[in-house]
Amino acid sequence: MALDLDTIAARAAQLAGRDPRDILQIALDEYAPSVAISFSGAEDVALIDMAASIGRPFQIFSLDTGRLHPETYRFLDTVRDRYGIPIDVYFPQPDAVERLVREKGLFSFYRDGHKECCGIRKVEPLVRALAPLAAWITGQRQDQSPGTRAAIPVIQIDRTFGTPDRPLVKFNPLARWTSQQVWAYIRAHDVPYNPLHDRGFVSIGCEPCTRPVNPGQHEREGRWWWEEETRKECGLHAGNVEAQAAR
Amino acid sequence: MRIRMIKKTLVDGSDCPKCAEATRYLESRGLWDRIDEVVWAKEDDPSSPGMVEAARLGVDRAPFFVVDADGREDVYTSVLQLVRERLGRTVSVAERAQDIDADDVGGI
Repeated sequence: MALDLDTIAARAAQLAGRDPRDILQIALDEYAPSVAISFSGAEDVALIDMAASIGRPFQIFSLDTGRLHPETYRFLDTVRDRYGIPIDVYFPQPDAVERLVREKGLFSFYRDGHKECCGIRKVEPLVRALAPLAAWITGQRQDQSPGTRAAIPVIQIDRTFGTPDRPLVKFNPLARWTSQQVWAYIRAHDVPYNPLHDRGFVSIGCEPCTRPVNPGQHEREGRWWWEEETRKECGLHAGNVEAQAAR
Repeated sequence: MRIRMIKKTLVDGSDCPKCAEATRYLESRGLWDRIDEVVWAKEDDPSSPGMVEAARLGVDRAPFFVVDADGREDVYTSVLQLVRERLGRTVSVAERAQDIDADDVGGI
């Protein structure tokens, strides 16, 4: 079975206030075995715990960019052992990484922006991970980025990775939860978590591109922080113009 | 079919980084001459044609493309999507991956 693509937006609106476990249940009921949880090694571990509590078989995949923190690698194995489920780890294409490093060195993202490196180390492996699936499940939340994630629905058609010929559905069960709710769940259910969180990391990605944030700072300030200027440079908001004029 | 590319110029007169990147890509594929018009969005002039166009179409990032065909107006914020869907060229998985910002994907 699969959801009716024409009514997914309406279904998402209908399910918006439901518990994440209900959304996960729908994902597994409708799409198993052609659905997987995308696990980043951060607090999205809550999804794995929830899926395990449902009692249906499910798949997990993760992307090893080659630049993750040692703590994240260990955490992947902790999760694997705790839940007794294999994690399908996808790696970047060696020739693409070798070419990038040969041409631009190991830290080109600080100069050229993260997109090129992420394209090779994250997005291309993700394309391969998603290729056999009809649906995937992410830990995205609306409160992760007021600018770009504020409107994330609990279910959506993934137009980035799906095509009209091969549609892909994306479930975001935690979309409406806050970070506090996720952490309350992790603590209440004794869910293992990445020890980097205890050191101030909120958003966890590759080691060179992630940093801890201070209380009061938004979690996105811990990712690709050096690129804010580029974003402004290419932005077309009138507010940017006003900010420039005020300088 | 008529294609307009909205590019942003910075105060120093240079193209914004993403606009320069998209331009280089189109040139490298031999497709630059398929762009019928460049509309400039000047960083320090909210009334410049490109800024007005961005506000009208609700686009917040440069560059973007407006395709006028058959009485319809379609907006493309991805140069690769434009190339694939309107210019009839194939785009490799690696190129497609380069066009997707991991920050926009989420959950990875």
